[in-house]
Amino acid sequence: MSVIHRHLASFVRRPATARALSTATATPTHYRVTLRRSPISLGDSIKATVATLGLTRRMQTVYHPISPECAGKILKIKELVEVANVPASEVKSQEEQRRERRPTRGFSVQAKWTEAGF
Amino acid sequence: MFPTEIRLGGLLWKVPWKLSRTRKANQRARLKKVDAVIETVRASGIQCGALTRALELPKEHEMPARDKYTVFSPHARGYRKGIHKVPKFTRITHRVNPLGF
Repeated sequence: MSVIHRHLASFVRRPATARALSTATATPTHYRVTLRRSPISLGDSIKATVATLGLTRRMQTVYHPISPECAGKILKIKELVEVANVPASEVKSQEEQRRERRPTRGFSVQAKWTEAGF
Repeated sequence: MFPTEIRLGGLLWKVPWKLSRTRKANQRARLKKVDAVIETVRASGIQCGALTRALELPKEHEMPARDKYTVFSPHARGYRKGIHKVPKFTRITHRVNPLGF
């Protein structure tokens, strides 16, 4: 029983540790920027900066290569965003992020109707 | 939209003179989040003017309570008013006040 438990524990913990290791060892190449606060009524300059970073709505996440230009933009809107330095392996396009959010189908196809031979 | 004379059947909005304990805690949390953003950009190893200016700002734990919860006002008694009287105070940078006030 304890063996199974240990097995389960190692199985459950592995993804988290793997992710932590990848962020720790791989050198960060990108900023992960998430818009937490809306720029509404903060003026055209701030709004334009948010738009230039490719952020169009709250809680949206974008990735940008680490550069002084990008850092300046992030610092201009530092009250509105949450930032993390991530390696290139963790950069995800909007489509990939959407796919991750999609729930599982809740079933798996055992056999197709046409192939089952009914 | 704005408080109007109650004698004219308007709205009376009372803005508290000072922030409550909870609002002060929220203010500290916001300041810490901004500190985290600056620290992340600094850790990315780039150099730029915006970063230099951001690093000159006092961090949340370095700021006196006066600066966290109040701002300089030339018109207020004691030259200070609650920071919650500043429009958009949760989304603007306001950490340093005139020296001596």
